[in-house]
Amino acid sequence: MKEDLMEIICCPLDKHDLDLEVTERDDGEILSGQLTCTECSETFPIEDGIPNLLPPDMRDEAPA
Amino acid sequence: MGEETRDRDDGDGGSDDRPSLADQRGVASVYQPAEDSDLLARTARERVEAGDTVLDVGTGSGYVAATLADAGARAVGVDVSPLACQEAADNGVSVVRGDLVEPFRADAFDLVAFNPPYLPTPPEQEWDDWMEHALSGGDDGRRLVDPFLETVERVLAPGGEALMLVSSLTDPDAVRAYASEHGLASEQLASEKHPYEVLVVLRFYQD
Repeated sequence: MKEDLMEIICCPLDKHDLDLEVTERDDGEILSGQLTCTECSETFPIEDGIPNLLPPDMRDEAPA
Repeated sequence: MGEETRDRDDGDGGSDDRPSLADQRGVASVYQPAEDSDLLARTARERVEAGDTVLDVGTGSGYVAATLADAGARAVGVDVSPLACQEAADNGVSVVRGDLVEPFRADAFDLVAFNPPYLPTPPEQEWDDWMEHALSGGDDGRRLVDPFLETVERVLAPGGEALMLVSSLTDPDAVRAYASEHGLASEQLASEKHPYEVLVVLRFYQD
């Protein structure tokens, strides 16, 4: 993900801002890291450049 | 949705006698753009101006988002399927894994496009794979249509709009009535006849 995506994403649970912690960066792309809600402290992973902002209870859920 | 034969790689046709939706449609595990995505992309593209911020919900392969990015919009895709997210990213689309518009800020988008899973499907006929998820709209075809209409208004910028592809199989009038109950006015922007259905693009906006 590009860092400017931070301007439009939020915590899916309470809609508050997210803090970005970058683990791996390549050019302008954030490849891995973590997003943390500034309000509820829930964390969301960034893996392979894709932020996973599913609520925790949907993260590992089977489809459908 | 497309009736043409497509390569399949889902590898699990299910063990029931009935073919799965994916088998019927002959598709892979990520929904590939067909007539419906194309109609939505063409209609949305006409309404997008360079510099607009747009969201493609259920982006799948990223086709609609990529089309709008070509038109100069800042386009983002969202999908619940990890396979779709990966494919959209591989196609150069900025993508978020998430549930409908939940992970996006209030007033963020000038336009939100949604090509929902809309095939009405009895529960006993649904299987747990990502392609079923991409095709099946549940009992009445509105499994994700209704939650979308309940939540999309929050992320629309003032004057923003949501465009949704709806099939005659999903009862566009009922969809519009439901939107109206949730404070969204609507109009029909485009319609196209296909062998088994009529595809329409509906526009939803704050009255």
